[in-house]
Amino acid sequence: MLAWLFDTAYDTEVRAALWSTVAAGAATVVLFVYTLGLRFATVVGARRRRHLVARWRGIFATAILSRGNAENELLPRVRRRQRTDLLEEWNRARDTVEGSAAGNLIILADRLGFARIARELLRSRRLSARLLGVQTLGHLRDADSWGAITALVASPNTALSVTAAVALAEIDPARAVEQLVPLIPQRRDWPRTRVSRILRKAGSELVSEPLYRAIRSGDEDEKIYLLQFGPLAEAEIVDALCDELIRSTNHPGVLTAALKQVSGHAGVPRLPSLARHEAWYVRMQVAKVLGRVGQVEHVSLLASLLDDPEWWVRYRAAQALVRLPFLGPNALRDLRSRQADRYARDMLEQAMAERGLA
Amino acid sequence: MTAADVILGAQWIFLAYFVGINLGYLAQNVIATMGIRRYLQTADQFEAEGVFSALDIPISVVVPAYNESASIITSVKALLQLEYPDFELVVVNDGSGDDTLEKLIEGFGLQPFPEAYRARIDCQPVRAIYRSARYRNLRVVDKENGGSKADAINAGVNACRYPLVCVVDADSILQTDSLRRVVRPFLEDSRTVAVGGTVRIANGCTVRQGFLEKVGLPRNPLALVQVVEYLRAFLFGRMGWSPLNALLIVSGAFGVFHKETLVEAGGFNPKAVGEDMEIIVRLHRLMKEKRRPYRITFIPDPVCWTDAPETLKDLKSQRVRWQHGLGQCLFLNRSLIFNPRGGAVSWLAIPFYLIFELFGPIIEVTGYAFIIISAFMGWLAWPEAAIFLALAIGLGILLSTSAIMLEELSFHMYPRTRDLLLLYLVAVLENFGYRQLNALWRLQGLFRWWRGGQHKWETITRSTSLADN
Repeated sequence: MLAWLFDTAYDTEVRAALWSTVAAGAATVVLFVYTLGLRFATVVGARRRRHLVARWRGIFATAILSRGNAENELLPRVRRRQRTDLLEEWNRARDTVEGSAAGNLIILADRLGFARIARELLRSRRLSARLLGVQTLGHLRDADSWGAITALVASPNTALSVTAAVALAEIDPARAVEQLVPLIPQRRDWPRTRVSRILRKAGSELVSEPLYRAIRSGDEDEKIYLLQFGPLAEAEIVDALCDELIRSTNHPGVLTAALKQVSGHAGVPRLPSLARHEAWYVRMQVAKVLGRVGQVEHVSLLASLLDDPEWWVRYRAAQALVRLPFLGPNALRDLRSRQADRYARDMLEQAMAERGLA
Repeated sequence: MTAADVILGAQWIFLAYFVGINLGYLAQNVIATMGIRRYLQTADQFEAEGVFSALDIPISVVVPAYNESASIITSVKALLQLEYPDFELVVVNDGSGDDTLEKLIEGFGLQPFPEAYRARIDCQPVRAIYRSARYRNLRVVDKENGGSKADAINAGVNACRYPLVCVVDADSILQTDSLRRVVRPFLEDSRTVAVGGTVRIANGCTVRQGFLEKVGLPRNPLALVQVVEYLRAFLFGRMGWSPLNALLIVSGAFGVFHKETLVEAGGFNPKAVGEDMEIIVRLHRLMKEKRRPYRITFIPDPVCWTDAPETLKDLKSQRVRWQHGLGQCLFLNRSLIFNPRGGAVSWLAIPFYLIFELFGPIIEVTGYAFIIISAFMGWLAWPEAAIFLALAIGLGILLSTSAIMLEELSFHMYPRTRDLLLLYLVAVLENFGYRQLNALWRLQGLFRWWRGGQHKWETITRSTSLADN
């Protein structure tokens, strides 16, 4: 039968179709077997991981609680195929602790030769292995790997680069912050949550100076991007910088970013003129600032923003007014009734309803 | 021209179509496999992060609802439990004829709220806005019936306050971490304007309090076939286009948009039959016209589970509507076809959709008819016909097998090996009858588009799987 089918008497296209059918059938069988293999590997891998975790979790817990015990304990042999799972588990444990407990886990890892394994992983072609290697070296605070990890910060791969940045910050926070902060505006692919986590862990004392310098020396776009990390620096430094920027620039983006970060406790310059700025988002930020630090003399300025052509400006102005501690419900109702503009009245009514004052 | 010439010409057309569509699918398959592997390699890192800060982007979740009285309370309660640091829920009652609004008012302690509503996108008038006394992040917009989901979504977008808008069908079943997953492309790339995720079939799954508790396969054969179909459509259909930035559809059941871009595009088209595809293609067109860099991204994570039709009548209605929507969408955005500035969208995705997805049913159904007529007339060379038929079926099975492999490689949502084997069986059997029927329905959809037709809210008979158990 098959011999008849593969008879060369057929046209070229029929023979091509025949061979394609055979190829499709073979590929289907290969994929089917591969998928079943994957399923088998998943089931076996999960079982192996459960056993490994059950065994090592106790050892990690002992190490976290007591340095002496961890040093004297006879540790199970780590098989090559267990290395990845074990490193992942150790990293998970390491993520949950700080201080001396973290130090105890590092001592345990030293006994197990994790630094050597992690450096090997760094040379792997598999991205997941390299990520695990970088993460482990960071958690181990392995200063010897500083150069290798620094090189990875420049990687075009976002995950690898940002994981390397996190690792540097763990190894030497001061040096890392100096190195990383100027890179932040260039690496917009780094998730902001991760950047903020790096900076938060380093602490505001270490972050303030490099961030201040980077913002001052950066162009407008970089200033805007970096200013969002202002809350992670020392408040006085951020306030002084924002004050300086608000006085010196008319760039709407920079003004907005600075107004967002300024605490305003020591007063905010140029507010009346900025309330008439041509960019609506600057006017909106003015309303928000006044919602935080507004005084009696600012009520008329806020009221003037209630009939702004832009919905958001009106909304933030109304919200700011109802948040002013010295304006009670009656004063607000009176203010609302005095608004000639219907949109201004509607907005104030909405803001009052949101606060349960309607 | 003789009859033999016509037959020969037709054969070449069928062959070219056949080769083209399968090469296209195989290319998508390769791209999708690489994309999913890359995505999964870094997924753990983002999962491990698990830490949110004030820098995360708040999301407005818009839920259009029309005559959803039976399930609206469960749906909204489930949505309120989504794990995300800052989100608001805007339910839009599109002038339901049943007691959807009353149920919402009673169920969530809604009170009229004097909101200074602004209609940035045109839609039917809003009657009232309510705010929940119990859930500060829940508002309900009650509006005149606009006759379409798109109109309801637009009203919801007008009421949104956050920079990202997530549009969710009221009957969609989400995972608690759906928002967290789908926001990832926005955090990674600020050019992102829309993101969609994998939609799976909920029939056969166990649902409790609006959330998926246990994944299972449906017993209904039609729903079962759709499980494989959805795996194919999402895991390599959409994942194959996404890395090229040529994704043409984000499922209407669950999609996230950058609000200002959505407003700039004019919102969803109330006259579009497939409003979910139309808005994505229009976003491509808008961004290309404005020459702005952008990304429309697909994530392979299963973020949404939906009820699949279990009767031939419902399924036919859905497929006819999809095809109608496809034709209308491509026609409305025809300026993108082979547009010099259009990139992969204009030169790959739209031509592929046009030739193989829109007009494909003509070739397919004609092909079937041709085979039947040829057999009756005695023109058919049976061995050759059998070889080509075997090839068509073989490639169909190969593509489905590949989709099941991608599922196993990535999320292995069907933990029982028996389920996996059942999916393989379905991958084989669907080629005998189901695919042909689908081609016929799609052809009907094509004719309906040709004749023109209006969009209205679509309802399907629900399977029991969505009832709480």
